[in-house]
Amino acid sequence: MSSNSQLTLSVNGNHVTVEVPADEALVHTLRDRLGLRSVRPTCGLGICGTCTVQLDGVVVSSCLLLTVQVSGRSIRTSEGLTNDDGSLSRVQQAFVDNGAYQCAYCIPGMVMTVEACFAESPNASVEEVREYLAGNLCRCGTYVSILEAVTELVKGERE
Amino acid sequence: MTRFVEPRDLQEACAILADDEWGNKVISGGTALVLMMRQGLIAPSTLVSIGRIDDLDGIRKDDSRITIGARTTHTAIAASAEVQRWLPSLADACSRVGNVRVRNVGTLGGNLAEADYAADPPTVLVGLDALCHVIGPHGARVLPVADLATGFYTTSLGPGEIITGVSVLIDEHRVSVYEKYVSRSSEDRPCVGVSATARYDGTSLDQLNVVVGAAVAVPRRFDEVTASALGGTLDETARRDIAAAIGEAIDPIEDARGSAWYRRKVTAVLVKRALERVSR
Amino acid sequence: MTTSADTLVRRARVLGVSLPMPDAADRVVGTLEYTVDHSVEGMVHARLVRSPYPHARIIDVDVSGALAEDGVLRVVTGADIETAVEIPNPFFGLTRRDQAPLAIGKVRYVGDPVALVVAETPQTARAGAESVLVDYDELAYVVDPKDALVPDAPVLHDEWPGNECGEWRLDRGDVDGAMSNATHLFEATYTSPMANAVPFEPHVAIAVWVDDFLEVWTATQWPSAVRGELAHMFDIDPGKVQVRVFPLGGGYGAKSQLKIEPVVAAAARMMGRPVRLELDRDEVFLTTGKHPARMNIRTAVDAEGRFIAREIDLLYNGGAYAVVTPKAVAQGLLRSIGPYRFPNIRIRSRGVYTNTIPSGSFRGAMTNQAAFAYESHADEIAAGLGIDPYELRERNLLEDGDLFASGQVMHDIHFRELLQDVAKVIGWGKERASPAGKAIGKGLAVIIKTTPPGTRSEVRVEVHADGQVLVHTNSVDMGQGVLGTLAQLTAHHLGVDIEKVRVRDPDSSTFDSMTAGSRTTFVADHAIGEACESIRRQAAEIVAGRSYGSDPGTTPDYEEIMREASITALIGEGVYQSTPSDALSNPLDVKGEVADHWHQGAVAVEVAVDVETGKVEILRCHGAAWAGRVVNPIRARQQSEGSIIFGMGPALFEEVIFVDGQVSNPNLSDYMIPSIVDVPINLTSSSLESPDPDADIHGVGEMTIPAVAPAIANAIARATGARVRDLPMTAERVLRAILGEPE
Repeated sequence: MSSNSQLTLSVNGNHVTVEVPADEALVHTLRDRLGLRSVRPTCGLGICGTCTVQLDGVVVSSCLLLTVQVSGRSIRTSEGLTNDDGSLSRVQQAFVDNGAYQCAYCIPGMVMTVEACFAESPNASVEEVREYLAGNLCRCGTYVSILEAVTELVKGERE
Repeated sequence: MTRFVEPRDLQEACAILADDEWGNKVISGGTALVLMMRQGLIAPSTLVSIGRIDDLDGIRKDDSRITIGARTTHTAIAASAEVQRWLPSLADACSRVGNVRVRNVGTLGGNLAEADYAADPPTVLVGLDALCHVIGPHGARVLPVADLATGFYTTSLGPGEIITGVSVLIDEHRVSVYEKYVSRSSEDRPCVGVSATARYDGTSLDQLNVVVGAAVAVPRRFDEVTASALGGTLDETARRDIAAAIGEAIDPIEDARGSAWYRRKVTAVLVKRALERVSR
Repeated sequence: MTTSADTLVRRARVLGVSLPMPDAADRVVGTLEYTVDHSVEGMVHARLVRSPYPHARIIDVDVSGALAEDGVLRVVTGADIETAVEIPNPFFGLTRRDQAPLAIGKVRYVGDPVALVVAETPQTARAGAESVLVDYDELAYVVDPKDALVPDAPVLHDEWPGNECGEWRLDRGDVDGAMSNATHLFEATYTSPMANAVPFEPHVAIAVWVDDFLEVWTATQWPSAVRGELAHMFDIDPGKVQVRVFPLGGGYGAKSQLKIEPVVAAAARMMGRPVRLELDRDEVFLTTGKHPARMNIRTAVDAEGRFIAREIDLLYNGGAYAVVTPKAVAQGLLRSIGPYRFPNIRIRSRGVYTNTIPSGSFRGAMTNQAAFAYESHADEIAAGLGIDPYELRERNLLEDGDLFASGQVMHDIHFRELLQDVAKVIGWGKERASPAGKAIGKGLAVIIKTTPPGTRSEVRVEVHADGQVLVHTNSVDMGQGVLGTLAQLTAHHLGVDIEKVRVRDPDSSTFDSMTAGSRTTFVADHAIGEACESIRRQAAEIVAGRSYGSDPGTTPDYEEIMREASITALIGEGVYQSTPSDALSNPLDVKGEVADHWHQGAVAVEVAVDVETGKVEILRCHGAAWAGRVVNPIRARQQSEGSIIFGMGPALFEEVIFVDGQVSNPNLSDYMIPSIVDVPINLTSSSLESPDPDADIHGVGEMTIPAVAPAIANAIARATGARVRDLPMTAERVLRAILGEPE
C-alpha cells in the first residue's frame, strides 16, 4: 500500500497528470493508466527489453523505474515515434519493409533502442547497433531480419 | 504505505535514513532497489531519493585525483573522456554493466551500496585503491572501496550514511585492465571478473595487484600472491604461477552461472589473461 | 489441372511472394491487440495459490484471511470445484482426464494450483492469495523418472500404478541376432533436461458466462481443444462454448492443450461475473515445459558404417499430469529412429509421471531430445570407424521407396539434398586453422519428424458482393504469420487480389485440431483449395447460363458475377481430414502408416571453442528445411532461422533446474535465452522446393530446431575431441569433457 502522489510528465509530447502510489512502476502507469500497450512487462527484471521507453531520449527499462522518480521528465514510447501525419518513422518503416517482426511482442522495444542508438551515434555500424541491442531479447528469433533492417538504415544514414 | 521523498540536501537525507535504518532506503537510479522491492526482498516505508541533491553527479579531475559523483550513471562514466584517459579499466567495466538500459539509469553509488557480488565496477575499483566518500549523521568520512562490501548485499555503511562519490589517484605509470567472463548468454551477469593493476619502474614491476570478483561474496585481492612478482618482469612463468596460485587460493561460490570447480578454473584463466595484458 | 472454373478468374500471382503481414504496421508500432491486452466490462481479477510441496495431501484450505482483505470477492478451492453442481466433470485432459482446475485431494508438484482468489483488482487478488493458509501433509516424492519406476515408488495417480504414462514399442527384423553377429557395436546414453518455451506474452484468459453460453478469450494454440474440453467439463454442447484468440505474443508449444482455461471458466461460472487471470513470469515457468528425456542407443554397424541394427530405450519425464504424454511418447518413438534405414530395429518409448512440472508441447516436440541422441551417435560411430560423418550419413539415409522402421514406404523425401545443401554452405571438408587457445570445428545433423495422421482442419471462405473475401479458420497466429499465409493461399486459389482477402482471428466457428506440429500451411492449403474450388464451381454454374456484355476474351470477376445474378455471397467450405491410421492401435507393436508426410531438416554449424574455459561460440550456422512449395519466402526463412535460434538456447545453456523438486530458476535472469549477440551474424537458411508447382506444402516451423544441438555437439567433438552427451552443453560441461574430469 502506498500514498498517492500527483505528478506531471510529458508523454509522447503531451503533458499528462497522473496520481500514482509511490511504488507504482512506470510500465504500469504507461500501459494501464495511459493505454500505451506497446510498453510490455515480461521479465520484471530489466533484462528482456519489452518495457523499453525513452526517458529524455535515452532508453530505460520502465519496469525498473518508479513513476514518482520521473516527475517532470519527458517520455517517449513506440506509439510516439510515428510522424505527426501518422506515417511510420524511418526505423519503423525499415522494420516493416524487412519483415523484421514475427509475433512482434519485442519489436517496439527493439525499434526504440535502434532509434536511441542512432540518436547517440548517427554513424554507428551494423556491428555497433547489434551490440547496442544485446539487451533486447526476441524469442521468435527475428534477429536476422532485424539486422537486415539495421543494415538498410546504416546504409541510408551514410548516404 | 511507501513514501517517496526528495530532500534537497544531504543532511536532511541522512537524518531521514537514520530515523529508520530498515524502513528508509536511499534510491539513486533505482534499478537494484525497485527490483528488490518487486521480488519482495525489501519493503521500504520511505524511499529517500538523492535525485535533487546538488553535486552528487559528474566527474571531476584535479591534479591528483579523479572524483566520480555517486549519482553518475555507468553510461556517463564509460563515455567520459577523463575516465577513458586515466581510468580506462573503469570505463571498460562500466561499459559492460548489464545492458544499455541499466547503464543509462544505474549509478556507481547505487552499485557500490547494493554490494551485489555479481557486479563489475567494484572489482576494478578495489584494484585501483579507490576511495569511497561517505556522509552521515556524524559527518563525512572516507574509506577504501575494498572495505565497503562486507558480504552478500551487505556494506559497512552505518545508519544514515550515504555514499557521495568515489575517487581514484591519477597515476601515469599505472596500467589496469578488466577481464569479464560470462558463462551463458551474452547478457549474463559475470561468472568471474578479474582486474589486474600494475606499475612499472622501467622494466621491473613496482606494484601489482589482482582482484577477483563475482566468483566470491566480496571482491578479493591477492596481494600475498602478487607480491612474489615484484621486482621482476612479469614474464610468462610469473604470470602462470600467479594464476595457478590464485586459482588454488580462491574459495568460489556456486550458483546458476557456475560451480565452485568451474569458477576456480576460469579464475586462473582470467588472471593469466589479465596479467598478459598488463605485462610489458 | 484445368477446369472450366479456371477460365472464369484471373490467376493472381501471390505464391512465392514475401508479402508483409496485413497487420505489419500495428505489430511494429505496438498497437496490435494481444489477448493480454483484452478486457471485458465488469471483469474481476484472479490469482492462483500454488503448492510449495512436490507431493502432499491437502488437509485444509483456510480462506478466511483472504476473504477478510478488502476487495477480495471469493476464494475457490479444489473442494469447491469437486462439489459444484455446475461442474459435473471437473477433470480435464486431452489424453487422460487426470487434471483438475484446482488440485483435489492432493498436490503433485511445486506450483500445482490449489486455490483461486478472485478480487476487484489484480493487486487485491495478489494480497488475498498471500493470506490463504493451506495445511498440507507431505508425501514422499519422485523427481527422476528412473526413481518413479522402481517398485515401491510414490504413486502420483492411483489409476496409474507404477506411474506409467504411456509405453510404446516397435520391433522389426532380428535385432538380437544382428547384434550378436555384429563386428562393430556402439552404445551411449544422451540426456535432455526440461526447457521452457518462454513465450513473452504470458498465459492469460478471460471467461464470461451469459446464461448457459460460455465465452472465453485465451492465449491458446488449440482453441478447438479448449472448446471441446470445457464443453465436457460443464456438460454442455460445444456449440455453447466460443473460444476466441487474438494473435499470440509467442506460443512455441507452451500455449497448447489446456492450461488456465478450466479454472477461469469454473470461477466465472461460480461467480456469475467475467473472470480474468494472467500469469506472472515465474508462473509461466511452473505451467509447462519440454519433456526431460533420456535415450539409450545401441547400434550395430559394419566396417563401412552401414547400420545393421539399432536398439533404443527412450524415457520421457511427463511430470505431474498426463497432458499429451501418453500419446506424445508414441511420436517420440517414431522420431527417435532418425532418417536412416534399419533392417533390424527395436524401440521402447515410455512416459513416466513424476512430481515435477507437467511436460507439454514444445517447438520440435519429442524430436529435439531424440535427434540430439541419434545424430550425436551417428558422429560417434563415424569417429569410431574413422569415416567422415557426411559419408556415414550418405550411406544410410532413407530415400523414396525405402521402408521406414514402421514398414511405411517413404515418399517425397529429400534428406540427401538437405545434407548436401548444409554441407556445401558450411564448407564441409575445409577446416579453418584454429587460433591460439581456441579449437574450431564444423558439425552437421539431419533430422526427421512426422505429421501424425488423423488431424482435421475446416475452413470456410466467403466472397461478398463487394468483392471482399473473408476466410474463417481456427488457426492461431503466433508470429508465423499464418493468417497472412492463409490469405495468400486463398488469393491464389480464388484468383483474386490479395488486398481483398481477410482472414479472421479464430472464433470457434470452424474446427482445427491444433496450430502446432508444423502442419497448418499444409492442411490449410488442402482445405482452402477445396473451399475455393467449391466457390469457383458455383461461379462457373452461374456464368454458364448467362452471357456477359464484355468481350468473350476477358473473364468477369466475382463482383460482376454476383451483381448480375443478384446474390450477396458465394460460400465455400473445405475440410482437410487425414485418414486416421491404425499404426498406433497396438501400443506394444507399432507398425504401418505413421505419417501423412515427413518433415525434413538439416543444420550445419561452425564453432570456436575456448579450450581454457569451454565456452562455445557459434561462428556460422546454416539450416535447410524441405518446404515443398514456399508460400511466403521471408516467413519460411524466419521459421527456419527462428527455429535455429530457438534451439541454440537449450543446446548451450537453457535448463529448468530442479532442487528438491522445486524450480530454482523460474525467471529470465537465472534462465537465460539467446540474445542477438549470441547468434552469429552469419546465420542463413534454405527452404528447398520441388520443381512440381503442385507439390505438397511442407510446414517449416520446427524443421531445423532438432538438428541444432547435435550439430553443435558434433562440431565441438570434431574441434576438441571432447564429446558431451548431456544438454545443455554449458561451458563447464565442455571444459570437463576436454579435461576428462566428469562431475
